[in-house]
Amino acid sequence: MLEVKNLVKVYPGPVAALQGVSITVSKGMFGLLGPNGAGKTTLMRIVAGLLEPTSGTVRFEGEDVVEEPRRVRRKLGYLPQDFGFYPHMSGKAMLRFLLQLKGVQASQGVDVLADELLERVNLAYAAKRKVKSYSGGMRQRLGIAQALAGNPRIVIVDEPTAGLDPEERLRFYRLLAEIAEDRTVLLSTHIVEDISVLCSRVAIMHDGRFVADTTPAEACSRLAGTIFEGAVDAGGLAATIHRYRVTQAVLVEGRNRVRVHVPEGAPPEGFAPVEPTLEDAYLLLARNGGGPAGDKGLGAENADAENVEPAAAARADAAE
Amino acid sequence: MTALTRWRHVARQEFLSGLRKPAYWILFGVLILLAWGFAQGSVTISSGESIAGGTRPHVTSMFNQSLIQTVAVMGIGAWFLTIAAGMILPREAELQVEEVLHSTPMTPGEYVWGKFAGALGVFLVGWVLFLGALVCFNHVVASGGDADHLGPFALGNYLVPTLVFGVPQILFFAGASFFLGTWTRRPIVVFAFPVVVLLLTMTLLTLWSPSWLDPAVNRALMLVDPSGYRWLNETFLKVDRGVEFYNTTSLPPDVGFLISRAAFAFAGLAAVAAARRSVAQRLRAGLSAPAWRWGRRRSRKENRLPAGGEPAQAATSAAAGPGLAELAMTTKPPGFWRSVRVVGSSEVRDLLVRPGMYLFVPLILYQSVFSLAVSVGPFDSRTLLTPGAAAARQVNTLALLVCLLLLFYAVESLHKERGRRLAEIFNATPIGTGAMLLGKTLGNSVVAALILVAALGATAGLLGYQQVFEDSPVGFRLFPFVAAWGVALVPTFVFWTAFVTAVFCVSRSRHATYGVGLGAIVYTVYRAAFVESPSWTVNWIAWNALQWSDMGAFSLHGRALMLNRLLYLSLVPPLVAVAVAGFGRRDFDAARFLHRLRPKPLFMGFLRLSPFLLLPVVLGTTLHFDGRSGYEGPAAEDAAEDYWRRNTTTWTGFEMPSVSHVEMDLTFEPRERSVEVSGAYTFYNHRDYAYERIPLTAGQWDPIEWTLDGGKYEPDDRAGLFVFEPASPLRPGDSLTIGFAYELEHPRGTSRTAGPEGEFILSSGIVLGAFTPTFAPVPGYAEGWGQPETPDSKEYADDFYEGETEPLFGWGGKPFTTRVRITTPEEYVANSVGRLASEETTDGRRIVVWESDHPVGLFNVVAGKYAVREGEGTAIYYHPEHDYNIDEMSAALDAARKYYSEWFHPFPWELLKLSEFPGFATYAQGFPTNITFSESIGFLAKSDPRSHVAFMVVAHEAAHQWWGNLLTPGRGPGGNVLSEGMAHYATMLLHEQVHGDRYRIEFAKRIEESYGDGRYVDSERPLAKTDGSRDGDGTVTYDKGGWAMWMLQQEMGRDNLLAGLRAFIAKYNPDPDFPVVQDMLAVLREFAPDTVAFDAFADQWFFDVVAPEYRLSQATLEETDGEWTVRGTLENVGSGRMTVEVAAVAGERWLDEGEGAAAEAPGYRDARAVVEVGSGESASFEIAAPFAPEQVVVDPDVLVLQLNRSAAVFAFEG
Repeated sequence: MLEVKNLVKVYPGPVAALQGVSITVSKGMFGLLGPNGAGKTTLMRIVAGLLEPTSGTVRFEGEDVVEEPRRVRRKLGYLPQDFGFYPHMSGKAMLRFLLQLKGVQASQGVDVLADELLERVNLAYAAKRKVKSYSGGMRQRLGIAQALAGNPRIVIVDEPTAGLDPEERLRFYRLLAEIAEDRTVLLSTHIVEDISVLCSRVAIMHDGRFVADTTPAEACSRLAGTIFEGAVDAGGLAATIHRYRVTQAVLVEGRNRVRVHVPEGAPPEGFAPVEPTLEDAYLLLARNGGGPAGDKGLGAENADAENVEPAAAARADAAE
Repeated sequence: MTALTRWRHVARQEFLSGLRKPAYWILFGVLILLAWGFAQGSVTISSGESIAGGTRPHVTSMFNQSLIQTVAVMGIGAWFLTIAAGMILPREAELQVEEVLHSTPMTPGEYVWGKFAGALGVFLVGWVLFLGALVCFNHVVASGGDADHLGPFALGNYLVPTLVFGVPQILFFAGASFFLGTWTRRPIVVFAFPVVVLLLTMTLLTLWSPSWLDPAVNRALMLVDPSGYRWLNETFLKVDRGVEFYNTTSLPPDVGFLISRAAFAFAGLAAVAAARRSVAQRLRAGLSAPAWRWGRRRSRKENRLPAGGEPAQAATSAAAGPGLAELAMTTKPPGFWRSVRVVGSSEVRDLLVRPGMYLFVPLILYQSVFSLAVSVGPFDSRTLLTPGAAAARQVNTLALLVCLLLLFYAVESLHKERGRRLAEIFNATPIGTGAMLLGKTLGNSVVAALILVAALGATAGLLGYQQVFEDSPVGFRLFPFVAAWGVALVPTFVFWTAFVTAVFCVSRSRHATYGVGLGAIVYTVYRAAFVESPSWTVNWIAWNALQWSDMGAFSLHGRALMLNRLLYLSLVPPLVAVAVAGFGRRDFDAARFLHRLRPKPLFMGFLRLSPFLLLPVVLGTTLHFDGRSGYEGPAAEDAAEDYWRRNTTTWTGFEMPSVSHVEMDLTFEPRERSVEVSGAYTFYNHRDYAYERIPLTAGQWDPIEWTLDGGKYEPDDRAGLFVFEPASPLRPGDSLTIGFAYELEHPRGTSRTAGPEGEFILSSGIVLGAFTPTFAPVPGYAEGWGQPETPDSKEYADDFYEGETEPLFGWGGKPFTTRVRITTPEEYVANSVGRLASEETTDGRRIVVWESDHPVGLFNVVAGKYAVREGEGTAIYYHPEHDYNIDEMSAALDAARKYYSEWFHPFPWELLKLSEFPGFATYAQGFPTNITFSESIGFLAKSDPRSHVAFMVVAHEAAHQWWGNLLTPGRGPGGNVLSEGMAHYATMLLHEQVHGDRYRIEFAKRIEESYGDGRYVDSERPLAKTDGSRDGDGTVTYDKGGWAMWMLQQEMGRDNLLAGLRAFIAKYNPDPDFPVVQDMLAVLREFAPDTVAFDAFADQWFFDVVAPEYRLSQATLEETDGEWTVRGTLENVGSGRMTVEVAAVAGERWLDEGEGAAAEAPGYRDARAVVEVGSGESASFEIAAPFAPEQVVVDPDVLVLQLNRSAAVFAFEG
């Protein structure tokens, strides 16, 4: 079990990246969702023992990660957001080297294990090529292979699906899901679909704080009956945004398909009730910066065009 | 935004970024310190007079500033500048900012030139700071006491050298390294560039200048030397032109050289243009490909995907492929040593695929082994390599270069994961930080190991070559290398790597670590090479620490060296602790970091570190106090100074009675460096007045038991000068005996610094002389001993030598007899003056008694584990492995004894011995019958038929039996000429006698060149006035002295001169009046056939300073009926008036005929004319030759001393 208490991280500036966050994560897949700069990576780096917090405690399986970061490293599988490899090494040699560093063992030996892991992430064909010739997606898969290798008690993956095509993303989901069966997996992303597919529990961060700690189903259910979708022409979009809390606006066949959150009162004309999604919940929370997702009074303020753009971007990302 | 604005933005950003780098601030500090050092005169032209008040070269002169610019840019600036400029583009690539930058309208030209200008700008700030500091220290804050080496301010003196020497180098180094970094994107290439250029410049381009070098090649080397030093040195500095010239003259223009300087500047800028082109090409290639060709080809190949992209079946199985569970993986964090092995082997693989290894290893081998192969000893003789000498001589070079390399590899290795963005993954692995750092260190240490192995192999090859092709008996042995390198180098590399690692881990900055590391190396080596030897406590690099002897390694500085090595090894654990604690595996939090800097946490941190510091503190303290209490420590210095202060006024000039007999009983314990001494001196009053007091100088031997005429006596102890007052004065003709007994250790305790030692009792050998009180009391007051500052040159009256003159060395008075009983361990053979009276061996002790069979003026003791070669009335005692030159040395000693006896005076003793001692000092001394030779002189000289260097040094030292012992020169100007000058003259005679004129000519040319290179025009005084106190007096005394006698022989005739010299020795041996040059000339004049010519010659060569320098001009060749006429003009651009032969010659003159013999070649022909030219005069000559001359040569038989002999030749075309 991972326990984070009153974690504060202030960067010189000063910039308060974490403002006293606390959370408890047990086995299974735990998603961290939040916009850029919310503090997700800072939190994950602290949990991985790679960043010293300003104050607060982090314990994993009873061991103090802040005071004894080396203890968590023995149990850790980690995929950072931004990483590289030794460019002159082949993919297999690089993976084998990291397996040796992590002390990963298998009955078939590390050499064969490296081959099999590469097979799992669909890199077997490029095992002997130097890493410097890998594309971004290939490097990401090599990173995934090393993060999932061994028998880590906690796996921390930061933006793991960045750069993966849909097929590879699917493959990754399956591997991660398998891993999460009896371990703690901390998944940080701003791609809501990753969380929807994988996580039994999700926390949403905003400005260095948790603004929600829930399950995807609960988040959706608390919005039940409040999300409506309809088509709006280009000229009417601004007015809709002005009057209603728009969660998403996507251009489909030349017209805007718009989803609005209407906890009280009548929805716009021509809008029909739809099933809420996690994305609706996330965007409402992220935009609002706090409060429970199911608070029907939440976000009563008028949405503006600036706030719609992230939603569109998120949808576009998810559809990629 | 205009192109100019964009360029300016890039340049400004790079400039400001550079200014923030700690390395630059270190450079600025170093440059200011350097400017201060230069202002103190740390780099000056070798000219002028060293005496107080004498004319000195101005550090502010244009010549000196030019010298400074060459030294400072090449030695210091090049390192910082090349790395700073060269690393810009590799760093940009690492940061992956290029793609973004080049998506803007900025062109490659704006980018590249802007970056270059920014980097150059920061360096120029430093350079302007340096020049400003120079001007400030030289002209603003200089004190009055400095005035003699500071001239008036002249802007041109700074500006011209900067433009001619500084700017071209700066542009060249900056531009070339910038291009290399841009083109290859490899830090290793950037780092290698200054190393390659510096090594080439410091060896081939600047210092390599053998006398036989073709002037055209020399000129070409001047033009391709980026520093400009060679041009400056070869054209103006090598032959001293006088301080007036350097202080007042501007650099004369030399169009060829100026074009070369402009070419260097242009090359630098052209390299930047090439870098721009490289960036543009790279942009066209999509930024992904390295710029260099082979890299690009390989990269394209590697980027090629399999046909059809990624495998289809793999992609389709994404949803239902095998899971991770069936891999049955487990995790068991690797143990310490397994982690070390994994990290280390990865580092090794990394090293092997990088070009650095293949670039640096040959480079270091070139510097280390090549310089060893061409190293020279006394008289420019090549040196015979023994494994130990070869290992020891490479220590400094290997230490310096490998430390530089380790600095680079350690920093790059520690930075590697961050640079490759692997740090987060790498640091999240469970291996320990200590294992990680140790693995990296061990991996990188492969570089050092490989270099050592390669150097070992190359040296073994060199020794093998020497053995197979040069008939050397010396083979390869591994032990000296293991011992020398294991002791001196390995701890240095271990410490240095730990230090660099700790600095990197604490600073977390690559540039700061480079700055600190380079600063430490440059400062240490600069101080060691130019200021003073570092003490054992601070000599981390063991610079000059290994004084090797094949006769017993480590016997001199063994304890100090071992403590020093242990000290630096013991610093490794605390450095590792600091490194492990500071390693940036987890990014620290600023607030917590500040918290940790509070006194209490700091103190607690120190407490945790203190167990690691205990051993270094103990070792450092021991070493420090060992040095202070030893023979070089302040206590010893204070005692010596006290001796001088208390006695100099009272006792200077005190004339002693003669010693008539010396009785010594010495019991040596070489392993304990000790000797038990008892003995007695019998004094005889040879003067016409009585002595109430008799002083003796003793060393710091406590206690000393004294006796006077057999009874116990307590003399007045005046800080080491023991004054005896006999009950009744010692009347003329009377004698008294002073006895003494004590024990001593020599050298006493540990040295303060590494370095040579002249006299010692060591397990490797014993060498002690009675010049100074090292083991035996010295009669009288030792003038100058303990004097805190070198005394100013003493002015002597013209007639100072009239009356009784004190001896230049030795005890004075009349010669005396000796009986020296020496007890040593059985394996030692001990020699002293005289003949062997008895020898016995009892209980593992050998007891020998040496008695003088003819009076001597001084005595010594030498002992070792010797083999002996006996000759005709001679014997050579040598280390059994040093028999390489024994045949030649024995023949020389025999010939010297035989011919010098004929020429100068019969050798009065039974046996002439020559004994080798460990090469902890490089000298030879000719005590009566008992010559001592360092192993590095003669025994390890590589003798060849052209030089006969072993013969030469033996001939010189043997001559001191006559010129030094039978005739001891007087103290005062011109005295030493009768010792060293005459020994050189005797050597020329013996060369001619034994090997023929060819080798006399070779020797004469060598010492002539030595004189030309070593003289100081301004401080040179006539031979009769030279007293050894001025710069250049050595070469005047030895080389010019020998030459003057040789020329006097031409003037007087050989037989007349030798007859005169015999009469001279006979007159002054044994006379308590010791002669100088004037006394010799007075005797010789009586043998001169033409006294007018003799006087003219003496006036010119002994009482004046002249140096002819001949030039041939307008030489023409005309053939008439098979007869050839050569006409030309001979000019003496030097000084003096001499008659000299001019010869028209054809063919090579000499033909080697087997070992050491030569004859005139059959095809050689010459025809000669005699010309007399005075200073500044010209004279025409005409030579009729019955053959077709090929060239005209001035002084073909090398009979007239002249400067620049190689320029006094005219070769006809075709």
